[in-house]
Amino acid sequence: MHLMQFRKKLEEGSFVVLAEMEPPKGVDTTVMTGHAVKVKGKVDAFLVPEMSNAVMRMSALGGAMVLQSKGMETIVQVCCRDRNRIALQADLLAAYACGITSVMAVTGQEPSYGDHHQARSVYDIDLLELLTAVSTLRNGRDMAGVELLGAPDFLMGASVNAGAPGISPEVEADDMKKKIDAGARFFITPPLFSVETIAPVLKRIDRSAVHIIPTVLLLKSLGMARYMARNVAHIHVPDALAERLETAPDRVRECVKIAKETISTFRAEGFSGVLLSTMGWEHKIAEVLEGV
Amino acid sequence: MIVAEKKPMEEIIEEVKRFENILVLGCNECVTVCEAGGKKEVGVLASALRMFFLKQGRKMRIDERTLERQCDPEYLEEIRDVADGYDAVVSLACGVGVQFTAEHYPNLPVYPGVDTCFMGVTEARGMWTERCQGCGRCILASTGGICPVARCAKRLFNGPCGGSSDGKCEIGKDTVCAWQLIIDRLRALGRMEEYERIAPIKDWSTDRAGGPRKIVREDLAP
Ligand code: SF4
Ligand code: SF4
Repeated sequence: MHLMQFRKKLEEGSFVVLAEMEPPKGVDTTVMTGHAVKVKGKVDAFLVPEMSNAVMRMSALGGAMVLQSKGMETIVQVCCRDRNRIALQADLLAAYACGITSVMAVTGQEPSYGDHHQARSVYDIDLLELLTAVSTLRNGRDMAGVELLGAPDFLMGASVNAGAPGISPEVEADDMKKKIDAGARFFITPPLFSVETIAPVLKRIDRSAVHIIPTVLLLKSLGMARYMARNVAHIHVPDALAERLETAPDRVRECVKIAKETISTFRAEGFSGVLLSTMGWEHKIAEVLEGV
Repeated sequence: MIVAEKKPMEEIIEEVKRFENILVLGCNECVTVCEAGGKKEVGVLASALRMFFLKQGRKMRIDERTLERQCDPEYLEEIRDVADGYDAVVSLACGVGVQFTAEHYPNLPVYPGVDTCFMGVTEARGMWTERCQGCGRCILASTGGICPVARCAKRLFNGPCGGSSDGKCEIGKDTVCAWQLIIDRLRALGRMEEYERIAPIKDWSTDRAGGPRKIVREDLAP
């Protein structure tokens, strides 16, 4: 069965709520499905990352199929790092046949970031080429031009750098336009804590051509906020947040509150939805989404 | 050596047609040996370009020069005094030379005049074949001196695949199976016991897959 709540809501213009659901490193999926089932109905779809940070784990397609088999909609990531064009297309066909109707293309981080430093990365095609490939499949042909027995009608998205510090808004806006031309219909941003960081890019693109879905990251501690502010180049953590956490009587509750407020801000600002990323704290998804 | 092939004339014309003063810059090393970008090829290309543009009624200045190497700052400096007089350079060096020339002359457009293909040997007059991919951790000691990274179509490390037949690779009758060569050689050297050992899983972090590479020799640094 093809699940399409995500697409339907985007088309209607209602606010979508996505949650990141990382598959396990191993074959025991009970924890993952347990977390997902608990918020079924509160989340429109689960975004299943493809081995983020180049750490080997169950593939996004595998994880997504486990969730879909339990009636939960997923958006599966497809990544240029580990598969050549043959494998990428093959997995895309498999995904659609298994009921997955939305995909998100990512470049993927170099193996040197992850836990298999000796691996040879693939990068047979890059992100733009991958988006073009998905469009080709949608039109009923593969990259070699051969006709398909049934075409996958994917809703396709991509990662963007919009809102990340140190990125030129002009270059990023051009980059987004290229991705839209290649067929991307939704963009997922890096973790954002405010609208200000992404505003200069948004000014430069046609908002009606694409759905922008910011990532809302659940901070876990003051230490994490400080660490990210200092060491994670593509995430801007405002100083005010760290100060707020410092004085909060219950820091974990404050972290949840910050995430809730961030979601409300993005909703109020007219974004198409949010992606909640809890990085190991999936048991907190329900609490963050409570009442937002 | 680094083996390169001349680019088609039309492609080079397309690159340079909007300029007036062009320097065709050759290199005296690998590309001279493989007859793609040495002094001789610089002369041939420069005359062909002159002729082409003359027929079009265009007055262009097309000069010739060949440096000892384009991958060494010392030699690149030799055109410092004349560089300003050109609108563009067509470098017939390998991709390394093209880039290094551009790095040294940031305001001068530099275009490639050859397609850089591989690291290989002159197997016969007019025939060059690949031997090494610069994987950064040479395993030739255990493969009888024949490289499976560069010469096996599937980069296998533990013997031939099922496609090897009559000593030829499954990609075509013109390609020898690298593993056939390795086995023949180990046998001739009386070292077949090495073939029986399972090779350790290859560490690709020293290959290009681990990102652009760099070697720093403290003992040589000024
Ligand atoms: S093993 Fe690596 S370094 Fe040695 S010849 Fe082959 S590619 Fe070159
Ligand atoms: S036939 Fe030989 S050279 Fe060709 S892929 Fe197989 S083992 Fe490698």
